[in-house]
Amino acid sequence: MQREEHYPHAPAVSRRRFLGGAIAVGAATAVPLIAHSQFFDVPFVPTPQVVVDEMLRLAGVGPGDVVYDLGSGDGRIVITAARKFGARAAVGVELDDHLIYQSEESARQANLGERVKFVQQDFFKADFSQATVITLYLLPAVMRRLRERMLRLKPGTRLVAHDFDFEDWKPDRRTTIRKNVFLWIVPASVGGQWQVRAAVPGSEFAFGLELRQKYQELDGFARIEGQPGGLWEANIEGDRVRFVVVDSRDRDNEATLYFEGRVSGGAMEGEGTRGVGNQQVRFKWLATRVGDLPTKAGGRK
Amino acid sequence: MTRQVSYSSWRVSRTLYGVTFVLLYLLVPAVAAAVLDVPTPYVPSTQSNVDEMLRLAAVRPNDVVYDLGSGDGRVVISAARDWGARGVGIELDAKLVAESRELARRDGVVDRVSFREGDVLKASIGDATVVTMYLLTPLVNRLEPRLLAELKPGTRIVAHDYGFAEWKPDRHVHVSKNFYLYVVPARVAGKWQVTVSLPTASREYELELAQRFQEIKGGARVTGGYLPAFDARLVGERIEFVLVDDHLSYRFEGRVSTHAIEGVVRWGHGPRQQESTWRATRLTAVTEG
Repeated sequence: MQREEHYPHAPAVSRRRFLGGAIAVGAATAVPLIAHSQFFDVPFVPTPQVVVDEMLRLAGVGPGDVVYDLGSGDGRIVITAARKFGARAAVGVELDDHLIYQSEESARQANLGERVKFVQQDFFKADFSQATVITLYLLPAVMRRLRERMLRLKPGTRLVAHDFDFEDWKPDRRTTIRKNVFLWIVPASVGGQWQVRAAVPGSEFAFGLELRQKYQELDGFARIEGQPGGLWEANIEGDRVRFVVVDSRDRDNEATLYFEGRVSGGAMEGEGTRGVGNQQVRFKWLATRVGDLPTKAGGRK
Repeated sequence: MTRQVSYSSWRVSRTLYGVTFVLLYLLVPAVAAAVLDVPTPYVPSTQSNVDEMLRLAAVRPNDVVYDLGSGDGRVVISAARDWGARGVGIELDAKLVAESRELARRDGVVDRVSFREGDVLKASIGDATVVTMYLLTPLVNRLEPRLLAELKPGTRIVAHDYGFAEWKPDRHVHVSKNFYLYVVPARVAGKWQVTVSLPTASREYELELAQRFQEIKGGARVTGGYLPAFDARLVGERIEFVLVDDHLSYRFEGRVSTHAIEGVVRWGHGPRQQESTWRATRLTAVTEG
């Protein structure tokens, strides 16, 4: 794993810098950008093995996963993912052919065969749409450039990084094992107007839902029989959506409805509960997207 | 459920305090105590608020739910009727206590609930496993040291609208109103002698922990160095932390009792994960903070 400062239009001269220790990381932030931008495609700062382990643990890598490491350096993340965590496939994308060679040699020694692959490529041009997990250790400017692309990946794709994050896209989880390690789960896109049908036994009803989305955070409101009502605890993790609606049509007998479900394009469906304890009733619900958000932002919150 | 102190009376006491600062300086504790003990407006929670509190506390049939300022008894009765728990209500107002008993009879839960007429600051609450409250901030904060001292570690406290000033909630839920969940933390501050049994040998660490409510930090002294405890967490009597030793992360999980911690430590990943038991005994206690 390496931190990578990326200049796609720079001359095809590639140089490596080996930096050890956390102090050098700080220095590397400024140096390649200012002093050596024409030459340093790749400041290579290897990630300590415990941090590699923590990244893959936090992402929950297992036999079902396809792991891509963007800027794979000496290949340690890719090899660890396949060897220790049993990933189905692990792919390293790296510009520097010396590092590619070194990685392939290590993979051969670990006897990992076809399960690992190293691709010499600019990862801004690489296709990593097959990934279920992507690992990153990149400078803030590069993280910023990648963010929009990451958000268009398949919902549920896990991204793990250390030291540098996606700024206002808050991590879903964060741990600190020597370094700060962040996990993001690519959220499905759910912003818009929805019509929800809740098949509550004995009182099936439909209501409108307006969802505003900022990454995995949702807010908005429900409209039950024309009455705007609160939408609470709404969030999305991958394609799993959760929200709470208080049905106050009957003022003396308010009911709280808890919704959980999956999003797939213009539809959501799942199971909900009404009430609590031994009074709890389960019901099925489904929703269809009926429109975009009003362009005028003067809505209520 | 009752708010025991009205905002208006609190504001009056603060205004007076400002006007005749010197004179009142000595009188304030007495005045405040008098004000705080007055059972003022009774603001019942709606049923959906009650549901949310008991849901956040994840009440189970073996729980004993105390509602501090129990009003007409709706939280206590719901805990028994809808969750199968036992419930105790503490309420100053005798009329509301009588009403609670009547409502409990109507809902057929008299054998599992009791209502005590009394002051929440004086009532004995030690056998609670869940405490609910909808009280104004001054009273909530006066209750805090008592709750921490008298409740067993692992007891869940749910506050409606007004939480503790210093003690951060373990969870916060916003459904119509704000609800805060606090889990009473075990006392772990101090030095512990940790022994990890490994297949071939055993390893010793001297673990030192500092604690502020449920937040803990510290590390382990080993021959030739200090290992900081990463991601240290304490929820009730369950503790976890990570020590990085020889380029491996050792993930400790354990249960704290008065003089010992016992649990499991895991290292390695996937098919290569290994685990062992660990035990810690208390060497010294350090004061909180």
